[in-house]
Formats: sequence, C-alpha cells, structure tokens
Amino acid sequence: MFSKKIVLAFTLILFVSSATAQGDFEGIWMANHPPRMGQPDPSAVKMTPAGLAEFEAFTPEKDTQLRCLMPGIPLGLIDPYPIEIVYQEHQILILYEHFHQVRRVFIDGRKAPDHWQPSLGGYSTGEWDGDTLVITTTHLSPDNNTWTAGYPFSGDESAYVVERWSRDGDELNLTGEVHDATNYEKPYVVNGHWTFAPDGEIWEYECIPEYAGVK
Amino acid sequence: MFNMQTTFKEYRIAIFIVALGVLIGFPAMAHHSGVAYFDLEVEIIQHDAIVVEYVLVNPHGRLTYKFNDEAGVQQEWTGELASSNNLRRLGLGGAILKPGDKLKTVTGSPARSGTNFMRLSRVDFENGDVAQLVGANAGITRSGE
Repeated sequence: MFSKKIVLAFTLILFVSSATAQGDFEGIWMANHPPRMGQPDPSAVKMTPAGLAEFEAFTPEKDTQLRCLMPGIPLGLIDPYPIEIVYQEHQILILYEHFHQVRRVFIDGRKAPDHWQPSLGGYSTGEWDGDTLVITTTHLSPDNNTWTAGYPFSGDESAYVVERWSRDGDELNLTGEVHDATNYEKPYVVNGHWTFAPDGEIWEYECIPEYAGVK
Repeated sequence: MFNMQTTFKEYRIAIFIVALGVLIGFPAMAHHSGVAYFDLEVEIIQHDAIVVEYVLVNPHGRLTYKFNDEAGVQQEWTGELASSNNLRRLGLGGAILKPGDKLKTVTGSPARSGTNFMRLSRVDFENGDVAQLVGANAGITRSGE
C-alpha cells in the first residue's frame, strides 16, 4: 500500500512538472512583427537555380491572397493581424483573423493519415520542447508561396515547415524554418512577434475578390 | 457631387531610393505582393483632389478621387489601401472620408501596369489632418494635435 502511494506521488509530480513545463500561449495576441514583417534580409536568402527561376517568374496572380484564398503555410506564418490560440486536450488551435485561417496542431502524438491531401494549411503536429512548442507541418501545397515578394514554395513531398513558439512574459515569439530543398540551399527563416492582448478582438475578415487585385 | 472648381497646382513625381527602408515597420500594407504590383521606388504626389469613393473592404480598401492635371484635364485615380480591418484599427474607419471631401495631397507609388492606380502611402486632408498609411507611425494625426 505504501509503495502504491509513492508511485502515485511520483506520477503526480511527473504530471505536474510536465504540465508546467509547457508554455501557456492561450489568448489573443496582437501582431507586432520585426522589420520586413519578420522576413529575412534578401541577402540571407540562398535560392537554388530552380528557386531563383521561380522567383524571377513570380507574378502577383500567384499570390493566393489576391485570389481571396487563405495564405496557408508558409506564407501565412506571419501577417499583420491578431491571432487567438486555444488549447484542447488533443490539439492546439491557432485562429488567425487574416482570412479566417484556422490551424489545428495535433499534440497527441498522431501522424498524418495516409489519405491526407496536400493543401494550403498542410498537416501540423506539435510537441513540447520544455516550454517551447515545436510544430512541424507537412503535406503542403505547391500553390503556396514562402513570401509575397515572390519567394517560392515547391510543395514537394519532402518540403516541410518547422515552427518554434515561445513566450517571454506578454510577448510571443515565433521562429519558422521553411525547408524546401528544391528552392533553397538552406532553410528560409522568418521571425514573428505578438503581444498578449487580453482585451483584444478577432474581427471578421471577409475577402472581396473584386478588391483583391490591381486595376 | 464633385467640385469642378478644383485647380491643379502641382503634379510632381519624386524619385527616391527606397533601399533598405522599403518594408521596415510596415504593418499595414506590405503583405500582398506590393513590390510585384507597384513601383515602390517612385512616389507620386497629387494635389487638390476630390474624393469620389472610399471603400472599406478586405483584402484592400480603395480610395477613388479626381483632380485636374497640368493641362486642366480631369483625371480619376484609385489608390489601394490597407485592409478594412487594419484601416479601422488605424482609426481610418468608414466615416473618415466621403464623396466630395477635399484632399490637399494624395501620395503613393504607381502600379506597374501603368493605369491610374497606385498604392497610397499618405493622404493630407484639407483641414490639416494627415493619414499616414505605411510605416511604423501609420495612423491618423488630427490637426492641432
């Protein structure tokens, strides 16, 4: 009986320590990104010849947002709008004001099912590295872009995105790595930053195609 | 509806090198292929405009206005703005501009398409108010503040 109590106590300690090690990102966060909207200095972007060709062939029509489609990942990692983060037992929801984008980050150890099709949002799984949330997103669509300036995204089966989210007081930081060997010699890295806004609001964002392009 | 007495004072194009500062502190408008659509190295300043229409929508609002060019010919241009959501957060909601309002200057970068379309960066109202539409200080400054 005594040993059972000890085991139970250890179990509780492990549970509590595990729970407190996770970061608490729940709530509404207002965008407050670094210069260049958190995009890398162009000199730091090392494209492959194929990536450079795609970059030079970019036209605005390839920007999903100008067709009123959500930016998806990686393009939508950073945008100038608030986000809301909601924890559930099996997933973390990231609710973007921008284009009403919803991301489900599964944190229960599941893997992408075989039937999952490539899409703008892909398939995201997360795990905790201490109090840092590490999200890996696969199954991403070639219709996506890395950034609106024309940085491409191949959507190849091997392409994926890794995000590391951490909290420092009322500040939320993201480092995102776009792994796309077809287009980049090394990962394209973005940095996002949000400020906790307990009284913040997520507004409707209806996109009107007529106003999406240029006359 | 429009004040046809508006006179053309000046229409000038100022070329400037944007260099490293193009996207620095650019919370409101830098998100949608701006570089691809607009020549951000060119700044156009148009004077004595009359508001035709101010539309608050996503992904971009639009301001359509008229002014007389150097030859005295009336021109109609449309300026692309930030999204409705961001304009509202900047204090530039729907009531701020209405058809017939007078604008001292309208500043922006022209579309690469060559049409009468540009991405607005600043609007100076006749009453002295200034709407800064890009940069870290985006928002409206009321005259007298």
